[in-house]
Amino acid sequence: MSTPTDTGEPEIGENSTLPVTINSISFIGGRNTRRTFLDRLFNPLLSTNRDHPYTLAEALNKVSSTVTKLRRFEIFHEPISTFIGRPDPTNPTSTPSDIDIYIHARERGRILVKSGTDVGNVEGSAYANVKLRNLFGGAESLDLYASMGTRTRSAYQAIFDTPILSDPDRRVTVDALSSTTSKFWASHEEVLNGGGIKYSWATDSGTRHKLGYTGVWRQITGLASNASPIVRNDAGDSVKSSITHEWISDARNHPFLPTSGYLLKTVSEIAGWGPLQGDVAFWKSEMETSGALAVPIPGVRGDSGVSLTGSLRAGFLCPLPVGFGSKSEPSRLNDRFQLGGPTDVRGFATSGLGPHDGQDAVGGDIYAAAATNLLVPFPRVGKDSPLRLQVFANAGRLLALKDRKGKGQVENNKDAQKDFYGTLAQLGDGVPSLSAGVGVVYAHPVARFELNFGLPLVVRKGEVGRKGLQFGVGISFM
Amino acid sequence: MPPSRTTEEKISQSTFSRQSQKVSNFFSIPAPVKALFEVVPVLSYPANPLPSRGPKSSRIPSLYVFSTERDAAAGRPSFNPTCLKWQTFLNIAGIDHRLVASNNHASPTGILPFLLPGVQSSNSSEDSLVPVTSNKLVKYAADQGLRVNESFDVRYEAYQALLDHRIRNAWLYTLYLEPRNFSAAAHRLYVSPASSNLLVRTSISHMLRVAAEEELLKHGSVIDKEDLYNEAEKAFGALSALLGNGQWFFANQKPALFDASVFAYTQLLLDEDFGWKEQRLCIALRKWDNLVQHRERILVRYYGGTHQ
Repeated sequence: MSTPTDTGEPEIGENSTLPVTINSISFIGGRNTRRTFLDRLFNPLLSTNRDHPYTLAEALNKVSSTVTKLRRFEIFHEPISTFIGRPDPTNPTSTPSDIDIYIHARERGRILVKSGTDVGNVEGSAYANVKLRNLFGGAESLDLYASMGTRTRSAYQAIFDTPILSDPDRRVTVDALSSTTSKFWASHEEVLNGGGIKYSWATDSGTRHKLGYTGVWRQITGLASNASPIVRNDAGDSVKSSITHEWISDARNHPFLPTSGYLLKTVSEIAGWGPLQGDVAFWKSEMETSGALAVPIPGVRGDSGVSLTGSLRAGFLCPLPVGFGSKSEPSRLNDRFQLGGPTDVRGFATSGLGPHDGQDAVGGDIYAAAATNLLVPFPRVGKDSPLRLQVFANAGRLLALKDRKGKGQVENNKDAQKDFYGTLAQLGDGVPSLSAGVGVVYAHPVARFELNFGLPLVVRKGEVGRKGLQFGVGISFM
Repeated sequence: MPPSRTTEEKISQSTFSRQSQKVSNFFSIPAPVKALFEVVPVLSYPANPLPSRGPKSSRIPSLYVFSTERDAAAGRPSFNPTCLKWQTFLNIAGIDHRLVASNNHASPTGILPFLLPGVQSSNSSEDSLVPVTSNKLVKYAADQGLRVNESFDVRYEAYQALLDHRIRNAWLYTLYLEPRNFSAAAHRLYVSPASSNLLVRTSISHMLRVAAEEELLKHGSVIDKEDLYNEAEKAFGALSALLGNGQWFFANQKPALFDASVFAYTQLLLDEDFGWKEQRLCIALRKWDNLVQHRERILVRYYGGTHQ
């Protein structure tokens, strides 16, 4: 029996409960792929490695899920075909229940050179990229990027990525970066040189983890002539050596225009403490959660296309003593949070919330922001297009850690705790900075585009609101 | 005929101005929206308090110099000649100021020192944040009404050139390119405060040495150590001869900018706590008694003496 399938999905016919044993698996077309890499993927399927036979359905399912895993390495062209055959009955080593699996794949080119334009959160850039695939035969890849953009003046990056134990969900990444970014909201440019190593894995429930170490030499330089004293004070070099952990559980049905599902994300970072050394030390933690609901309209059957989304973001930064010392220094400009802009709190300028020294947004140590959007399909265009009308309300609060003693340095832990909880309590002081408005959203496959008309309703002195039209492009919006 | 032409011109002009107004009206904010903009923000709160790191803005001007935190707080001389020159100038001019220990990244021009004028009131305009770079400090002092009498001696330029080239080149060589001096002094003063990380320190040390070499190579295709030292020694001799038995240069009654320029180098070369290991330039300077006394005179007058 020969059943060609081109996506690996089995044709389960009347023989689905037929007991079979997988005698052999032949992989055709993996000239540059390591044998050991493929072995680890396919050996568990062979019946010699199992203690009881498969049913035909089980066998085909198993083969198909392994082929899906293989696809996720992105080293083969689509489609990867699976063929099933019966060994020759005259062959003395075969048993009547044996089947042979033949997998046919075509490797992708090992070098890819790309150039083009890219879109990030409120930034556009032009880039050139050289990608080396399947470097050592085990789906390792090396990416070399050079890019130039509106905010990131120049960036050079090299990323080496390899799956562990032939599992596409477990990867180790080593990267090196050299970039210069314009931080115009604080009148300076930041130069970064550094690298790191990360290990990422996914659990069975679909949540993804990433644990990594990064070491970066940051330099605040290129100050504008009207830079504020706080920015001038933090100008110069600092080295951050930190361990980060990221956890994401994304159950939304669409990354840019979700109508159901939720997102949970936490990012934690510990820098400079204990053996990490460096020039800065802190514990930083951020949390993001968002959810989407489809809103049924009475009188409209089925999916009305109207959805309500809400999201909440919060974070804090707690200074720690560097290394094994005892005194902790207040946070630096490079490490503090910024809030405000077309992709988080709309109706405010980029980094428009929080403490401002003159014109410069100097950032804060604790923040919380919330947003709610009602997305309605355009009446004539309908819900199948990626265009939506939105009504939004955003609120946010960004605060610097209190320094009640006014000494600029934290003397002991009790004072540090009091300062921290005091600042946390301040988040609820009065009404948070608030804005609302309407706009148009376009969910392009590459990014989400928005054109909003917003009004800042509650503003603190020094914060910069944006009245009227505001354009936003990005990948992650609140 | 003339009258109708002017009327025609007037009509065409008014048509043009009407049309251009139509265009600008198209882009200007319509009245109902403008009314809406007037209403927001509905609620205003006072400003967010600023982060604690960094100097608070002060009424008196701040001079950003290369120094340590403690020395800056105590008003002690900076360890960088250009910074020390202008620090001394401000002291001579009697301009009340405070020192802020900083680095060249904080400067609008990339070099220190620079002066941030004091904040006069809480509602001062943003112009007060514009820093005064070192080349504008003399004018700044004059604007404050504190003139420092400079002499108009014809030889002024020539002697200033001695300081800016011969002595400065020898200074650059002895501090950055003499290995023992670099590790004992320059490393401690310029490299260590930047970061605690070894790789960064190595990188910065390398950049400093390369910059010093480039600066020296501007004046000659080869760096000749003997030549540099000899020229500097001769320059010191010339300065000593210029000073003669007088208190201040150019026979002034009070010290002036030139005295500050000379002091900038003599103070750092004669300072025992600086950490000089290769002392050839210091020994050369010590030969000239009147220069040594000139340095002490300024040190006592403006910095409270040699031992603090």
